[in-house]
Amino acid sequence: MATVGAAIAFAANAVSPRGLALTRNYFPTAVQMAGPVPAALPAELGPAGTNAVGAAPPQPEAGSFDAESLRRADIDQAAALFRDPRYQSELVVFIDARDEAQYREGHVPGAYEFDHYRPEKQLATVLHVCQLAEQIVVYCTGGDCEDSEFAALALIGVGIPKERFFIYVGGMSEWAAHGLPVEVGERNSGTIGSAEP
Amino acid sequence: MSAEPLTGRHKGWDIAAVLARWLLGGLFLQMGLSKALDPVDFLKLVREYDLTQHPLLLNGIAAALPWFEVFCGVLLLAGVAVRGSALMLLAMLVPFTWVVFQRALALQADLGIPFCEVKFDCGCGAGEVYICRKLTENGLLILFSAWLLMGWGRSLCARYALIGAGAGKPGAEN
Repeated sequence: MATVGAAIAFAANAVSPRGLALTRNYFPTAVQMAGPVPAALPAELGPAGTNAVGAAPPQPEAGSFDAESLRRADIDQAAALFRDPRYQSELVVFIDARDEAQYREGHVPGAYEFDHYRPEKQLATVLHVCQLAEQIVVYCTGGDCEDSEFAALALIGVGIPKERFFIYVGGMSEWAAHGLPVEVGERNSGTIGSAEP
Repeated sequence: MSAEPLTGRHKGWDIAAVLARWLLGGLFLQMGLSKALDPVDFLKLVREYDLTQHPLLLNGIAAALPWFEVFCGVLLLAGVAVRGSALMLLAMLVPFTWVVFQRALALQADLGIPFCEVKFDCGCGAGEVYICRKLTENGLLILFSAWLLMGWGRSLCARYALIGAGAGKPGAEN
């Protein structure tokens, strides 16, 4: 009976649109960088291919890179990058590594949604934006949240140079607590509200 | 419990056991579905227990456990293979309660607060809960499961046992 139950449970996970990929490492502590020529996306990151992205291919170095080596940004640095004129031309971009519901509740205005657990929908867009950007700020909720690191590692793993990344450690909770602008709903919805700190 | 017809007092206990069966079934169905519909959140919570860091094991637990709870919940609600389902619930509840207790102890040590003021999302499907309340609830669920395992709660069953004396007899021998 336990065997039948387990078989049904795994089958239900397999057919569920929200099911987990059993072999994927959702919590990477390091990533193998793709090298000078962007490799095809790992299957675990979804069906979007590198041919979905635009020009200006990055030239990252090959080798292993771990999360500890990612640069950190505090609230002042994150706010300065947000106010940087290059933000308007997307040479500086913000990536929100939380899930869709949290993103819609409130995100840094203009930030791109990238839930690395379910990257299929956003990966092609985010990859394109990151390839053109000079600096990329990735954030999640803040506190113990590690999703910003996992998201950055996922993007580094598919060919975005690691030097472009900043992890905004304080995350959305700190951003909102400091009274910085928060956009509600979809990206560029124009609805500036206040998120719960 | 014997397979003899139930007399008044026993009948009352058995009705109480049926209510316990429905309660258990309903709770596991609800808790299982809440996790199965958001397995990523559950995966993160399972990881916090630090039981394993192996992706396959971690993903396997987070992927299968919620649906397994749903499976057991449905069986209990319908009254199918009741003792087997109760045994599976015990096999989940006892070790899970132990690891929740251990995690609460660790959090208490970290935070330096009284044990009953420790509050966290244990991955039970009900969000953040105070640990003493959670342990009490789990204790009751374990008792109910053990009660069903002893053979109570045979009334209003679609198929109390899949094999053996009560197989295929709605309401069994009551």
